[in-house]
Amino acid sequence: MVNALDPQNIKNFSEASVSVEIETEDMTLNIGPQHPSTHGVLRLVAKVDGEKVHDVKPVLGYMHRGYEKLAEVRTYPQITTLVNRIDWVAGFSNEIPFIAGAERLMEIEVPDRAKYIRLILTEMARISSHFVFNGAYALEVGALTPIFYAMEDRERVLDLIESVTGGRFHPNFNRIGGVKPAAGAGPTTKKNIQDLPAGFYRDTKIAMQKVIEAADQFQNLIGGNEVFKKRTKDVGVLTPEIAEAFGVSGPILRASGVKSDLRTQTDYLPYDQFEYEIPVGENGDCYDRWDVRVKEMVESAKIVLQAIDSMPSGPLQAKVPKVIKVPKGRTYVRAENPKGEMGYYIISDGGLGPYRLKVRTASFSNISILPNLLEGALLPDLIAIMGSLDFVLGDVDR
Amino acid sequence: MEDFFNNIKESFTNAVLEFETINIKVDSTQWIETHEQLRDEFNLKFFSWLSAVDWDNDVSVGEAPKESVTPCFELITCLSDVENTNLITVSTTIDKSEPQIDSLVGTYEGANWHEREAYEMFGISFANHPNLEKLYLPDGYEGNPMLKSFELISREVKPWPGDVDVEGMPEDSESGEQVDG
Repeated sequence: MVNALDPQNIKNFSEASVSVEIETEDMTLNIGPQHPSTHGVLRLVAKVDGEKVHDVKPVLGYMHRGYEKLAEVRTYPQITTLVNRIDWVAGFSNEIPFIAGAERLMEIEVPDRAKYIRLILTEMARISSHFVFNGAYALEVGALTPIFYAMEDRERVLDLIESVTGGRFHPNFNRIGGVKPAAGAGPTTKKNIQDLPAGFYRDTKIAMQKVIEAADQFQNLIGGNEVFKKRTKDVGVLTPEIAEAFGVSGPILRASGVKSDLRTQTDYLPYDQFEYEIPVGENGDCYDRWDVRVKEMVESAKIVLQAIDSMPSGPLQAKVPKVIKVPKGRTYVRAENPKGEMGYYIISDGGLGPYRLKVRTASFSNISILPNLLEGALLPDLIAIMGSLDFVLGDVDR
Repeated sequence: MEDFFNNIKESFTNAVLEFETINIKVDSTQWIETHEQLRDEFNLKFFSWLSAVDWDNDVSVGEAPKESVTPCFELITCLSDVENTNLITVSTTIDKSEPQIDSLVGTYEGANWHEREAYEMFGISFANHPNLEKLYLPDGYEGNPMLKSFELISREVKPWPGDVDVEGMPEDSESGEQVDG
């Protein structure tokens, strides 16, 4: 090191050429685990060279609750309570593939009405998850207003979920063979199983209309904003090849131009009964990832409106034995959750609980792309890229 | 699904279609080649997940297998094609005394974190993995929590109250057929 205070050196400095390359040292920057943009407790250790980020290491585990281990000591009906808490922004969606897996192994045919109620509530969970994303993402790139609109609109959807299930975030509403009788529907007797609460159809129609309006509003308020466009267009571009190799799914994969939607590809719920579009992006940048989700909200609202109109009547529960024992076998059931592909690989040995339950969550694979995506990105873009992946730490750590 | 299964069956004669999930069992020496073949020939480019199962007769958590099994680790991966319904699981068994297998990171980059998870949870080591470190668990943590021999400490201190729930409520006792939640 040269002593800058030495008078002799001061003379040398003044004669030195301006174009001399200054040797810099990389700075290690810790982001999180309590940073507001990390949606929980994710820690990133990044090397910063000036404003360029490289060598990003995500540090996980702050939210690890060991659900796979806990599932081994619980019965099938008890596990529904656990899996609710994996992606807490869309709790209802987490139950569906697990219950569907157990039903497949038990070879139970679920009544149509129960399937429709599941479908309506899953789509509502998707809408509420995308509302949170819209508000939070705008906040992360510097717009304070949208989150107030988003939270207000989401509340309407959560109220509907609550009126049916009794819970806003953790409904615990699915049962093997069907759904629980609705919470707001009064006392239940065996002969008179209560259904959806009074006024549910009317309220849903109003709320879904509001969702479509809100999506339109976001397109203007956020998407029409020049600053937002500058911050997100051509930032964090993800190619479909890399996305697939990393198992990136859901809106992020679709934003990269891959038309892949498990709702149409698999039959865990009767999505083939409805008409809707699958929004697909072009560039795979942050803007597309945001855009795909806003468009998806409208499509989800359309699905709910169609489902309300064509709701079949009938029982809510198939006949199931009182003590649920799942026959020996193994199966993998996946579903299109708000964040991407969620699946459960159940290995049953014929007991009261699974021998092994592998939980495949969307956010885990989605953020494993972070080191790739952030390599060489600018520091201010780091938050924009991270936010566009829309992850929840409960979904990453399980 | 059926067409895809028939295609798979031509290359892998031991493929099984069970509960709408196709599974092929391979030898652990064929692990990498199988995945490369599935990726290139069957266009299964989407790496969904990798995980392991600890097969053991002597368990300290949960229920032991009803029929006796040979103690081993079963390693499972799930691959799919994002543009259609094609999905497959590939499994292999590895010896428990020295659990080691080649890393899939060269074939599917996404295997990286999944293998790190299997490494810390089961103690399986992956040869040629670029960064085989703990993923979730803190530094200095001892033991592999997903092993069937790994005890849940809280269970030892206090018996599980949930056991009672399985018994059923007293007023339901007259009907054995149906439950309504």
